[in-house]
Amino acid sequence: MSKHLTAKKIIFYVAILAVWQAVADANFWPNEIFPSPWEVMQDLGYGAADGSLFYGIGTSMLRLIVGLAIAIAGGITLGIFMARMETVNQTIGSLVLGLQSIPSIAWVPLALIWFGVSDAGIIFVTAIGAIFAVTINTYTGVKNIDPHYIEAAQNMGAKGSQLITLVLMPAAFPYLISGFKQGWAFAWRGVIGAEILFSFLGLGFLLNVGRQTIDVSQVIAVMVVIMGIGILVDGLVFKRLENKVMSRWGLR
Amino acid sequence: MVKLEARNIVKYFQHDDYKLKALGGVNLKIQEGDFVCIVGPSGCGKSTFLRIAAGLEKPEEGDILFDDRPVTNTGPERIMVFQEGALFPWLKVIDNVEFGLKIAGIPSDERSQISQRYLDMMQLTRFANSYTYQLSTGMKQRVAIARALVLDPDVLLMDEPFAALDVQTRELLLVELQIVWQKTKKTIVFVTHNVAEAVVLGTKVVVFTNRPAVVKKEVSIDFPRPRLVEDQKLVPQQQEILAELKPEVKKRMESE
Repeated sequence: MSKHLTAKKIIFYVAILAVWQAVADANFWPNEIFPSPWEVMQDLGYGAADGSLFYGIGTSMLRLIVGLAIAIAGGITLGIFMARMETVNQTIGSLVLGLQSIPSIAWVPLALIWFGVSDAGIIFVTAIGAIFAVTINTYTGVKNIDPHYIEAAQNMGAKGSQLITLVLMPAAFPYLISGFKQGWAFAWRGVIGAEILFSFLGLGFLLNVGRQTIDVSQVIAVMVVIMGIGILVDGLVFKRLENKVMSRWGLR
Repeated sequence: MVKLEARNIVKYFQHDDYKLKALGGVNLKIQEGDFVCIVGPSGCGKSTFLRIAAGLEKPEEGDILFDDRPVTNTGPERIMVFQEGALFPWLKVIDNVEFGLKIAGIPSDERSQISQRYLDMMQLTRFANSYTYQLSTGMKQRVAIARALVLDPDVLLMDEPFAALDVQTRELLLVELQIVWQKTKKTIVFVTHNVAEAVVLGTKVVVFTNRPAVVKKEVSIDFPRPRLVEDQKLVPQQQEILAELKPEVKKRMESE
C-alpha cells in the first residue's frame, strides 16, 4: 500500500470518528441511545477485561469453523458430482440453485425445531448458508478445467478418487478459493444471525444482551468486532491464499 | 510384429444438428518400433485417429487393435503427447514428469530415480523445480515428452507436438526426438501437417485423404539418422508425399 493511500484512509477514518463524536456531543439523543466513540471503546475495554468478548469471539469462531468445514467438504463433493455427472446436475443442480436463494436466517426455525437451542443448530444454519456457494463455485471450476488436463490424466491411468484429488481439485483450485471466500462470507453472516435468534452464546448473543439491557455501546462495540474479524479474515486468509494460487498458476 | 492395427475405422464429428464423417474407413498397420508420421489436410481427422488409438474416443465402426486386442479404454501403455502439452500448471516440472508414476503407486525414491533419467534425457534437470508457466513452449514440450516416457509406454501418440514452436526450437527437438526414439525403441505415431517434419522423423509417412479420411499412401523413409530438415537427400520423398497431399488440400479448400 502506498503512503498516499494510507494517509487517505487514516484521514477518512479520523474524520468519521470526529463527526461521530461531534454528533454525540451535540446531544440530539440521550447518551444511552447514541453513545460516543469513546464510550464504545470503553465498552470494548470492559468486554476484553472480563473476558466475555474473547469468549464470545471464540464461541462464534468455533461454530463458524465447524460449519464452514462441513460446507466446504459437502460443497466440493456436491460440486464435483454435479460437474462430472449430467444427471446429478440436471436434478440436484437445479435444487441447489433454488436453495442458494434462501437466506441462511430462514433456516433458523427449522434448526430450532430439529436441534433445539444448541451448538448443532447454529452450526447447521452456518453450514447450510455456506454450502451452496461452495457447491456452485466448485461446479463452475470443474466445468472450466481444460479437458486436455483430464484426458492426459486419464491417459496416464488416473481414475476415481485419484482423478478427483490429484487433478480435478487442484485444476479447479482458483475457483475453489472463490467458493471458500464466498462460503466464509455467508457463514459469518449466518453464524451471527443464528446466534442472535438462538440467543445462545457467541457474538450474536452479546448483541442480543446489549439490546435487552439497552446497552447501545455494547451493541456497537460487538458490531465493530464483527467487522474487524471480517476484514482480518479476508485480508489475512483469503487475500494471501488468492495471491499464492494466482502466482502459482501463472495467472499474473 | 504388428503393434497397432486400425481396421476400417469410421468416425463422425457431431455438430449441433448435423454429423460430419471424419474418418471413412481407415486401415493401417503399425509395426513395433516404427516411427509413423501421419500427414493430411487440416480437419481431416488425423488427430481424431490418434485419440481413438489412445482410447480417448470411440469409433462408430471398426476397431483399433493393440497387440491384437481391441482398444476399449485409455491407458498408460499408449500415451498421448498433446499439441499444447497439457502440463499441469499446479505442479512443478518434476512433479509433472512423475505424475503417471505416482498414479501407478510407485514409491517416491523410485519415482525420482526414473524421472531423473528422463529429465536428463530431455535436458530439463535445471528446470526440475520450475513451474510450467516459467517455461518456453519448447521446454514445455520437452516436459510433455519426458512425462510420457517415464511410464515406459509401448506406443507414443504425438499430436502435432511441435506445431507451436519457433523454427530453431523445432529443428532442435526434431533431432532430439530422433535420438530419443533410437535410445528407447518406442513405437511412435506422430501427427503433423508439416511434410518436411514427417520426412525427417518417420520410418514411414502415411498420407490421409481429405475427409472422410482414408489412407491414401504409405511412403517408407529409409535414411540414416539423425536426419536434418535441410538434408537434400530427403527432397525426393518430400516431393512424392507433397504430390499426394496437394490434391487433398485442394479438395479441402474447395469444400469450405
